[in-house]
Amino acid sequence: MADSVISIQYLKDFVNSQIYDDEKWAFNAKLLRAAGLFAGSILLMRNYGDLMAI
Amino acid sequence: MATPIPPPPAAAAAAAADTKVDYLNLPCPIPFEELHREAMMSLKPDLFEGMRFDFTKMLNQKFSLNHSVLMGPTEVPSQSTETIKIPTAHYEFGSTFIDHPRLLLWGRILTDGRLNARVKCDLSENLTFKANAQLTNEPHMSHAMINFDYKGKDYRTQFQLGNGALLGASYIQSVTQHLSLGGEVFWAGQHRKSGIGYAARYNTDKSVATGQVASTGMVLLSYVQKVSEKVSLASEFMCNYLSRDVTASFGYDYILRQCRLRGKIDSNGCVAAFLEERLNMGLNFILSAELDHRKKDYKFGFGLTVGE
Repeated sequence: MADSVISIQYLKDFVNSQIYDDEKWAFNAKLLRAAGLFAGSILLMRNYGDLMAI
Repeated sequence: MATPIPPPPAAAAAAAADTKVDYLNLPCPIPFEELHREAMMSLKPDLFEGMRFDFTKMLNQKFSLNHSVLMGPTEVPSQSTETIKIPTAHYEFGSTFIDHPRLLLWGRILTDGRLNARVKCDLSENLTFKANAQLTNEPHMSHAMINFDYKGKDYRTQFQLGNGALLGASYIQSVTQHLSLGGEVFWAGQHRKSGIGYAARYNTDKSVATGQVASTGMVLLSYVQKVSEKVSLASEFMCNYLSRDVTASFGYDYILRQCRLRGKIDSNGCVAAFLEERLNMGLNFILSAELDHRKKDYKFGFGLTVGE
């Protein structure tokens, strides 16, 4: 119980620090955008790539 | 009284053999430095800005001369975020000697004195020697690098030596018919830094997936899907944790009868396209465009290539 509470609190603090720190958030936003484009493009080409074939 | 006939054991054995991996008969993997080859072909065309004219003349079967002219603005590195360009013109003279497949000699020299040279020589059936050099007039800006590549039955290994006390080695091994794993180490003596890297590559007839990480903080992932004989789609993710630089790109590659069209879009708001059209045997027309909407940097180029 105590351990789980501590872990949850640590996780909350970590997420808050990643979001509310301007410098970290700038990098994290770029990382999320790039990862989203990468994953999205792979899904697109695997599911709808045939539509782009000629 | 008819009894059911059991399936023939040969068919079952054949089916089992199809799925079992023959570890003693694996293919030879791609060289470590060319791991992302398919993605590079689609996503990194030779974009340029201005006018470009290339002329290649074959003097005989093995020897050819090359003349290149490039005229257009060149970006000057500046402290401000604004892009500064000055108009420039370059003439480049080159010569190439190819004694296929054992020997390749390649040289290029520019009007400002910069020289590029490459050598590739097969020392034996499995051992290849490579060297490349960039020489300039500026002090301490010249570079040279030599490579020894050894090709084994189902593995490849490479040793590198460069100026500035640069050492590198890599090894890549096929572990199944479709998967190969590799590693590399490097030491930069001038900077007293060393590093280690790992790579993996999984390829089938229709797709290639690769990944690479290094202790310098570099992560590189790529995926290429061949959707038809003429069309390939490619995606790449590149992240450098130390420099806080992260980019993802998505591109296409159409190879048609008379032309090849490549394009890409990346997560920094940069859109690019590159068109090579064959007007005639030995005459190619090139269009290049790169639009960086974030930096408001727009580049357009056109060119001709004569002889190939």
